[in-house]
Amino acid sequence: MKITFRINNDLSELDALLDQLQVLEQKWALSRKTLAEICLVLDELITNTIEHGDGDKGQPIDISLAKTGPKLTIKIVDAGLPFDPTVCKSPDTSLPLEQRRCGGLGIFLARQFCDHWHYNRLNDKNTLTLQKILPEEHR
Amino acid sequence: MQTTITQEKNTTIFALSGRLDSNSAPQFEQQLQDFLREPSTNLVFDFNNLDYISSAGLRIVLNTAKAYKSGHYLFSTCAMQEHVQEVFEISGFDSIITIHSSIDESLSAVKGRE
Repeated sequence: MKITFRINNDLSELDALLDQLQVLEQKWALSRKTLAEICLVLDELITNTIEHGDGDKGQPIDISLAKTGPKLTIKIVDAGLPFDPTVCKSPDTSLPLEQRRCGGLGIFLARQFCDHWHYNRLNDKNTLTLQKILPEEHR
Repeated sequence: MQTTITQEKNTTIFALSGRLDSNSAPQFEQQLQDFLREPSTNLVFDFNNLDYISSAGLRIVLNTAKAYKSGHYLFSTCAMQEHVQEVFEISGFDSIITIHSSIDESLSAVKGRE
């Protein structure tokens, strides 16, 4: 079971994409929680791609989601500047209020909600492949 | 995302509905401007109808908590859905942000804080 999308590097198109993903709740029998997690992962990573890109609007971002039994594989491909989220520093989540900053939090959250991720730079494109193992009741 | 603002004695309640993400965050931040600049009431974010929060939303919550930290008035959040609660916990926000299970609890906590 596979679904693909292409959006431009524009936050309003990301918003429309997250709306469209709601169909997966029914289609792939996902729980609201699992769907929210998938949306969060995509939201954080694609927002970073849009914000760290070279600002040239009209650049496509290709997203695919494939489900095989309990395994969900997500791929995000864009032709923006080289950007590897897997090497970004995690924020220190134990700091007290006054010292907390939000830098790196988005990518950190995305990583927490998937089980594996792998970055590749090939043919001038950033390719991020993510895997999420779905909980028992959704296999 | 929809924001409904109500007043309960000396507490302002922002009830959020929908998604608080990079798309809706700027508008929400704009609505909070006056509260962040100079807190003059207690503040509660009612998350009962909030389906989802991303780091853009967390940033606003963090900045609000900072603005309220050393003042007379209190800031709290309440009624989080399971997934939103999990995001707060994973980010370590549950130890720096006041989280109540219901709006009643949040309002009880500010009784006397006029």
